[in-house]
Amino acid sequence: MEIRSFADYLRSLDDAGLITLFESRSDLISPVPSDISSLAVRASSIPSLVRAVDSLNKWQLQVLEAASVISEPFTEKELLQCTDKSAKFALAALVDRALIYIGHDGYRLPGNLREVLGNEVAGLGPVASKKLKLKDLDNAPAASKKVLDAMVWGPPRGAVADVKKPNPGLKWLLDEGFVSPVNQQTVVLHREVALHLRGNKVHRELIAQEPQLSGRNVETKSLQLAAISNITTFLRWTEEVLNFWGQQPAMALKAGGLGIRDLREITQHLGVESECASFIIEVAYISGLVTIDPDDRILPTHQFDIWLSYPASVKWENLVSAWLITSRLSGLDAAPMGPELDRSIAATVRKKVLALLDGADSLAPTSDSLLATLQWNLPYRRTGGVPAEYLHWITREAEWLGITGQGALSPYGAALLNNRDLTAIDSDLPATVDHILIQSDNTAIAPGPLEHEVAEELDLIADIESRGAATVFRFSESSLRRGLDHGRTGEEILAFLKKTSKTPVPQPLEYLIGDITKKHGKLRVGSASSFIRCEDTALITQILRDKKVEALGLRRIAPEVLICTHEADDAIHILRAAGYLPAAEDSQGLLLSGPRIQRAQTKARPPRIIGEFENPSEENLAIAVRTIRTGEKSSAKQSTLRDISQEALGSLPRSTANETLEILTHHLRENPSKSLSIGYADNNGLVSHRIIDPLKISAGSLMARDHATGEVLTFRIPRITGVATL
Amino acid sequence: MSDGPLIVQSDKTLLLDIDHPLSVECRRAIAPFAELERAPEHMHTYRLTNLGLWNARAAGHDAEMVIDTLIKYSRYAVPHALLIDVAEQMSRYGRLRLEADPIHGLILVTTDTAVLEEVIRAKKIAPLLGTRIDNETIAVHPSQRGAIKQSLLRLGWPAEDFAGYVDGQAHPIELKQDGWKIREYQEHAAEGFWHGGSGVVVLPCGAGKTIVGAAAMAHAKATTLILVTNTVAARQWRDELLKRTSLNEDEIGEYSGSKKEIRPVTIATYQVMTKKKNGIYAHLDLFDSHDWGLIIYDEVHLLPAPIFRFTADIQSRRRLGLTATLVREDGMEGEVFSLIGPKRFDVPWKEIEAQGYIAPAECIEVRVNLTEAERLAYATAEPEERYRYCATTRTKRDVVQELVSLHAKEQILVIGQYLDQLDDLGETLGAPVIQGSTPQKVREELFQAFRTGEISCLVVSKVANFSIDLPEATIAIQVSGAFGSRQEEAQRLGRVLRPKADGRGARFYSVVSRDTIDQDFAQNRQRFLAEQGYSYTIIDADDVFQGKI
Repeated sequence: MEIRSFADYLRSLDDAGLITLFESRSDLISPVPSDISSLAVRASSIPSLVRAVDSLNKWQLQVLEAASVISEPFTEKELLQCTDKSAKFALAALVDRALIYIGHDGYRLPGNLREVLGNEVAGLGPVASKKLKLKDLDNAPAASKKVLDAMVWGPPRGAVADVKKPNPGLKWLLDEGFVSPVNQQTVVLHREVALHLRGNKVHRELIAQEPQLSGRNVETKSLQLAAISNITTFLRWTEEVLNFWGQQPAMALKAGGLGIRDLREITQHLGVESECASFIIEVAYISGLVTIDPDDRILPTHQFDIWLSYPASVKWENLVSAWLITSRLSGLDAAPMGPELDRSIAATVRKKVLALLDGADSLAPTSDSLLATLQWNLPYRRTGGVPAEYLHWITREAEWLGITGQGALSPYGAALLNNRDLTAIDSDLPATVDHILIQSDNTAIAPGPLEHEVAEELDLIADIESRGAATVFRFSESSLRRGLDHGRTGEEILAFLKKTSKTPVPQPLEYLIGDITKKHGKLRVGSASSFIRCEDTALITQILRDKKVEALGLRRIAPEVLICTHEADDAIHILRAAGYLPAAEDSQGLLLSGPRIQRAQTKARPPRIIGEFENPSEENLAIAVRTIRTGEKSSAKQSTLRDISQEALGSLPRSTANETLEILTHHLRENPSKSLSIGYADNNGLVSHRIIDPLKISAGSLMARDHATGEVLTFRIPRITGVATL
Repeated sequence: MSDGPLIVQSDKTLLLDIDHPLSVECRRAIAPFAELERAPEHMHTYRLTNLGLWNARAAGHDAEMVIDTLIKYSRYAVPHALLIDVAEQMSRYGRLRLEADPIHGLILVTTDTAVLEEVIRAKKIAPLLGTRIDNETIAVHPSQRGAIKQSLLRLGWPAEDFAGYVDGQAHPIELKQDGWKIREYQEHAAEGFWHGGSGVVVLPCGAGKTIVGAAAMAHAKATTLILVTNTVAARQWRDELLKRTSLNEDEIGEYSGSKKEIRPVTIATYQVMTKKKNGIYAHLDLFDSHDWGLIIYDEVHLLPAPIFRFTADIQSRRRLGLTATLVREDGMEGEVFSLIGPKRFDVPWKEIEAQGYIAPAECIEVRVNLTEAERLAYATAEPEERYRYCATTRTKRDVVQELVSLHAKEQILVIGQYLDQLDDLGETLGAPVIQGSTPQKVREELFQAFRTGEISCLVVSKVANFSIDLPEATIAIQVSGAFGSRQEEAQRLGRVLRPKADGRGARFYSVVSRDTIDQDFAQNRQRFLAEQGYSYTIIDADDVFQGKI
């Protein structure tokens, strides 16, 4: 079979070849294309090519760039000439990915790939329109050589004051045709010239080898200790943030996410920097432990309660696995939990960084070396490589999470990446302690991670002064009051402290608890809508027992005072109806006589007056008539046009999107100047007939000039129902 | 998991388990770079501060040693971020150095031009600098040596001061150890100071700070200016110096309200130094009147603001600060650090007590109930009068009387804030009252009579808070104080901490009105001592009357 097109090449592949292709470009089979021609269309579509190119490493990208520079078709030898011998292996990889295919006459690139690679690949300008005498370059004047030196490795464009008055060096180059003017102030160096000067190589240096990671080796023991400390810290942070919000929910911003003030509160509560607090919140958010409810409150979810009951290894796995796959980067300068943190490459970069660390054993690479290796692996041609700050954020976050310890991948991180058992975390965690040491300065120290129940109880009655592996609590009037507010009694608190403390409870603390218990709740506050008072306690008792005024919901709070859940006005009505003679009292206790005369508190707003229409001016009348006439004419024309096109539409053959695309591509290549007749479906599925001059196909759309309007429009190819040449 | 005595917290505090067998070794190891914050019974809290870390650099320790120490003694894994921060902070010290240059005088030299560029652009620094000499060097106005150090410290780029000290006029001073011996910690303190150049020594009251001063003078062997709080303290310093050193009476001068002697060793009071005449400080010349080789600031926590300003101008002289409590209620600890110098020596009170150099003390808070009428009067008192009202309540008088009679055989000090209360107490107890208006001569006579045991009970106002040496006092009863002042409480306890001839312990009673702000203030005041490991026992006034103590 002669391979005339990319589709033919794909047809020629055996099953193994296709599987290799799908392995490296999984987007081609989701969803599975119906046939090879649709596969070919998809494989040469821009989004798929972008993805494929982005998955290349630096070396492969360089070879692909070289291939795009030399003219098609090319042989392996030609490619190796302008790169080096090692490119042979890169070429094979590129063919596997169908970024280069083998036609009947040599290697070719699928359509659109050049567009994906962009203009001025490898800093090379356009090909000259006429044949150049490259030998003359060796005899170039010194001034011209200087100009060439500046431009040879790109960018190929240079700015000049005025192309019409070039300096002598440039003038010679312009005269010889090695350089051409682009506009008044810009000149461009031709591709052949640059290649010749580069010694017929496309790149200065072909980086075939992945740069070695360098850094210091972390001792296994301290690596493990550091990671465990990071893991415990992170789990504690998460718990603390969510417990904090469980008591005092934060409010989400209108635009979504956590406001700066609430973030600062968390930052202070945890005693960490704000980047770290943002990250903790983000991880809890992506793991579903916290959410924004319909009232815009930020609250822990039920999932959090379930999470709390897990052993540390599962807790950690929950958080970390959510982080591994998220496309959100909490390092970005935007509100955590907000809508602006997504970056499409985040997960890819994160995965790659961790894979690199995984391969580095217990090496903690320096950030420069890690960045160099990462950028070789993910050269990302559009953004000029992975931004250094992404890497900084990712390594920082990995450290916070304990995936790394002192910069090197921890055993737990390695287990996670390789899907191994994580229960080692539970046994490696420092043993929890169940006691505290109370000291006479009213502090209590838990000399290690506290058991959950003890910590929770202590949290109620003491403020945390210092956090870490151990916790320092301080008892104060307000902290003890908090415990009482939560329903603990003084005796309970004291009993709890006596039970948990290894040291005797100091006497001043006992006194403090006693003092506060004594004072707590002495003052009572409640709400009532009105009150009834009377110096005659017998009458008060009578009202309280009167069934007719039961509706008032009365409660006696003093011998002479009743409080009532109803407003004063209602209470008076009900009491009067029951035969009592109440009088109203104002806030100063003065008797109010008679009904109060009331006035509105708001400004007067009388209704709008609706008047007669004003007589239109002559001018306005004339405009109105003209508008109506024009409209009339236009719709008559429209209906005639519609008739004609309906007729034409009937004769149009129907074609599928892929066929249409092939016809259009062919048409554009063979006789681009001829008009086409197409059927085009609008948003509602109504098909109309158009006469168009096709201009260009890109990204699944056809750009064409529509004869009816004379405008250049974009037609989406799947909506074109059929095509015929005129 | 090692089983060390130290727990390193992520907020840069270090918790030292003092019941651990390695705790003493660990304390020695961390003392150079961590500041002791609290020292209660079981766990001492140290803190890693920038000042402390820079201090360690100044003493020749590097970040690696600090990190190794933390890791070695730590019970749990040390947070990595903290280690990075330690290394980072320590590397900031010493990038700028103040040096004396034979041609340009005082210069600021850097090993990192970027840092120099940063600091010379700072608004506060620019006016202190002279001409740029080269990329790494810039001249500094010699008079601004103190100011530039202060400002650089605030910018976070502390300068290492290599400009040295002037020796001052030499004067032979030796310690005269006949019949007594300098204690080990006193010697450590004096040496720590001398090697550091300038700085502050923190020792509990009664632990012999004067002797540290004398030892420092013996190191300097130069003319010395000693600044003290009041005239009584000045006389005590003089007596002590005469007893402990080779100095004789003619060599020591007193510069106070009543006498204006300038001798090779001159003792001046803060009061006279800060006295203004026609809006200017009249006695400032004293700083320049002699080529002093050493300046000693007694009770440095009380140093008045003007003295700080003078001190900024004499950075080339060695400075020694002495105090029991480097707690300043005005928060000027930073000024003490940059102008007098960093803390060179500090030791928990309880440790000295354990060595027997200060008397063990028992602190007791006696709570008295206000009568119903008093409570009502208290509730309706103006807010600014409230403390005074509850602190001077009549009920306290009865309790004090009872306490005094319970300790009739001991030497008792009754200390208070309000003069009418003191007068009232003096009358009730039949004891003489010493207050601000008591003439100097009368004061000394009374103190002397108290020392010899002629008088067993003295009622004193805040004039006796400091520096009054009353070795035989074993009981102090505090009836009111300067609101919640922590250092005052500690100083007052200090009055009874001198070791007793018979090894008896001391007692410190604080009489407090229950359920009033007196009680709240008392809690705040007790905090410093509680952090030093003194635990208070609370008893009820009724227990006193029933003799249950």
